[in-house]
Amino acid sequence: MIETLRALAAGLASALTVPHLSWALVGVTLGTAVGILPGIGPALTVAVLLPATFSLDPVSAFIMFGAIYYGAMYGGSTTSILLNTPGETGSIVTAIDGYAMARQGRAAAALATAAIGSFVAGTLATVALTLFAPPLSALALRFGPADYFALTILAFTSVAVLLGSSVLRGLFSLFAGLALGLVGIDQLTGTARFAFGLPQLLDGIDVIILVIGLFAVGETMYQAWTHGRGDVEPVTIGGGRMTREDWQRSWKPWLRGAAIGFPLGILPCGGAEVPTFLSYLAEKRLSDHPDRFGQGAIEGVAGPEAANNAAAAGVLVPLLTLGLPSSATAAVMLTAFQQYGLQPGPLLFSSRPDLVWTLIASLYIGNVMLLVLNLPLAGVWARLLLVPRRLLFGGILVLSSLGAYSLNRSMLDLGLLYAIGVIGCAMRIYNVPLVPAVLGLVLGPLAEQQFRRAVAISNGDVSVFFTRPISAVLLIVAALILAAPLVNRLRGTPA
Amino acid sequence: MSQYRLLPSAVLTTVVACSGVVVCAAQPTHEQLRIVAPAAPGGGWDQTARVMQQALQQAGIARTVPVENVPGAAGTIGLARFIGAERGRGDTLMVSGLIMLGGIVTHRSPVTLHDVTPIARLTGEYEVVVVPPSSRFASLRDLLDALRANPTSVSWGGGSAGGSDHILAGLITDAAGVSAARVNYIAFSGGGESLAAIVGGQVDVGINGYAELSAQIQAGTVQALGISSAERLPGLDVPTLREQGLDLVFENWRSVVAPPGISPADRDRLTRAIDAMVHSQSWREAISRYRWIDRYLPGEAFASFTDAEERRIRAILGKLGTNQDTVTLATAGLYPMFVLAGLAVTGIAALIAGLRRRQPSTSAARRWRSAALVGAAVVLNLVLAERVGFIVGSAVLFWLTARAFEERYPLRDALIGCTTAVAAYVLFARLLDLSLPAGVLERWF
Repeated sequence: MIETLRALAAGLASALTVPHLSWALVGVTLGTAVGILPGIGPALTVAVLLPATFSLDPVSAFIMFGAIYYGAMYGGSTTSILLNTPGETGSIVTAIDGYAMARQGRAAAALATAAIGSFVAGTLATVALTLFAPPLSALALRFGPADYFALTILAFTSVAVLLGSSVLRGLFSLFAGLALGLVGIDQLTGTARFAFGLPQLLDGIDVIILVIGLFAVGETMYQAWTHGRGDVEPVTIGGGRMTREDWQRSWKPWLRGAAIGFPLGILPCGGAEVPTFLSYLAEKRLSDHPDRFGQGAIEGVAGPEAANNAAAAGVLVPLLTLGLPSSATAAVMLTAFQQYGLQPGPLLFSSRPDLVWTLIASLYIGNVMLLVLNLPLAGVWARLLLVPRRLLFGGILVLSSLGAYSLNRSMLDLGLLYAIGVIGCAMRIYNVPLVPAVLGLVLGPLAEQQFRRAVAISNGDVSVFFTRPISAVLLIVAALILAAPLVNRLRGTPA
Repeated sequence: MSQYRLLPSAVLTTVVACSGVVVCAAQPTHEQLRIVAPAAPGGGWDQTARVMQQALQQAGIARTVPVENVPGAAGTIGLARFIGAERGRGDTLMVSGLIMLGGIVTHRSPVTLHDVTPIARLTGEYEVVVVPPSSRFASLRDLLDALRANPTSVSWGGGSAGGSDHILAGLITDAAGVSAARVNYIAFSGGGESLAAIVGGQVDVGINGYAELSAQIQAGTVQALGISSAERLPGLDVPTLREQGLDLVFENWRSVVAPPGISPADRDRLTRAIDAMVHSQSWREAISRYRWIDRYLPGEAFASFTDAEERRIRAILGKLGTNQDTVTLATAGLYPMFVLAGLAVTGIAALIAGLRRRQPSTSAARRWRSAALVGAAVVLNLVLAERVGFIVGSAVLFWLTARAFEERYPLRDALIGCTTAVAAYVLFARLLDLSLPAGVLERWF
């Protein structure tokens, strides 16, 4: 422990030099920007910057990459809250209550709780990364396909709180997402399913296309449809600060979000979405006023935003301790390590402690910078709502189109984006919730693959899901979550 | 165009007074050489493309070398697009290799490597067979004995189905005299996931590239049973498969190809550029940094090598795939049926329950007018984006969308639309270095 703190202090001393601080600043600014842009994520940004950073020393480069990664998690929430158009998958859940808050004139408060929550969770998760990285990653390795399957089932239970006003329409949305997830090559056999002979569909439908299509393009079309030249909703910016009540309602979700996000980030499987779904589930289930959710509950912003930042820190645990990339950004960072002739793996902590500890130290600093950068900006960003709607939505459509095309350089993706946009618009008109569809597309293929892997490893024995302790516990928790409202109803207490 | 291409580095260097990114190009023979990486950032092909980018620029062979990622389906999506969209272009290259051959066979790709112009094989990477330290297999012999006794009792973990790891698992089983059709191979997506399953002992045996595994072998988190090289590697105490009685040598080679239909002169120019590149210092450094093996083989020799490899891979994948594991097949069909049935049931039930529409505040005629404008906007963008360019497409998209909301300011909106389109284009294509078709405005951007 003492040794760890000493190493961290040395890292801080190295990170607090002017060039390193400057690179962190460049990184957080760039990261925030790419978080806001639809379709452009931190993975692509780091990949694009790799050749340009080759002549930098590795420490500076990694400080910047870490800062980009953290920054993107902060930036993602902004458009989600203000415009109901999440720029990346980690902030879809934020849009539900964040956008409702913005429409009530509480945009600045929502942005503030997102920024502070990100800071709190990011910092706590970085502390956990500092102190417990090696034992945690050893634990994560015990997760096998059966356990991952159980985890996806647990995540599926969060759909119960995302269904919206009608269970049937919510389930329809979920199945639509699951059906989209069927498209593409079946990972285990390599054969194509539902690709209709189109090579561009072989890799399936990108979740980012679905998210931008349903949310950004769908919202634009819906706004044009309903408010075309009709009476424009008055927009109020409201106070820029969080009230005392906001703080009271936010701090627990921040901590819970961190507790949910960090471990799920470590597991080399899910992306940033699963922790946000589970955090939203937890907040709604633990709330005294579950009816407020969907109507602008600040807990519904605070929890998921904390969770996605904690997960970002969690991803670094297997990367730094084992050399295992568990997200797209981590995979690119692994390439970057190799570019400098470093072998990330079990020996990195002992072979290059200076690099590892400076990187970790700079994550603390990056978090502080992001808070300082984003908190005053919350009020400024909120003013974005004063831009005339026609220009705002015109701009959103242009940026969404460029982002979607540049993902795979495919016109088919662009066509798909608009088609999904039309569907998203229709879903809004007919009151079908959007989030279950995203949940289905993210979790469906994962659940299927892990199930089949587990069964193949056990040679066809399905009992593995109950004989493996981790898997059994997760499945029991999932069953309890589903059963709890029923039990409560039987007892006569409101769910 | 060249000065914009360097913007990412220019931004970095100017923001902080810390220079060092010096791109010197005395008299490059190529103004621009585009490289397509048919994979997502982070993988072996992307690494190869970016190393080539660096080497070609630093050695002054080409002034600018943009890399484009077209990921998916073991490179076959990139291959199909390369053949369709780049035909006849003498300034474009694509990274390819053994995994693409596997993908072509597995995914029944309509296009193959016969449809492109071969330039050269570049590198190779050996594969290693590993087990967790606590494994019941202490040596390759133990593993082979278990395979011969009951092939399906051994679970193999590695990368995607039809990829290099899967192929080697088939070759080993085949060489051991066991039917490759009974290999219980568990495909994982990407390096990280399969590495975690191997190190975590979730599968009995793991296969992966030597570069990915070397750190794990060094740290003792996995035990290497054999390496697929012909001779032992210097400094690595791992026996080859061959010296343990399996007559097989295998490497995951990577190569570079040009589009079909290019002129012989262009082909010579590209071959010379690659020849100069593999002899450059930065290429040599990169090879040792990434632990690749130099497997440079240009021209016709490379073409006949590809043919031989294709025959070998078709044969082994045929054996692996003739009788897919019954467990895998049984579970493959159930899930899609469940999902489609669920979709139909919930959809019909929701329809019967009645759809309540939100009451819009505007009249039907106005709504349809707005819908028609937005519809026209997106259709025009789809038509214009690749033909006339993204700037024109975006400007039209912006203008029509704005008019769907408000029709009072046509001129002002057109002006703002053009500005937004140019700004967005510069942001994506120049600052973020993502290539977008500039179309008719190419000369100005």
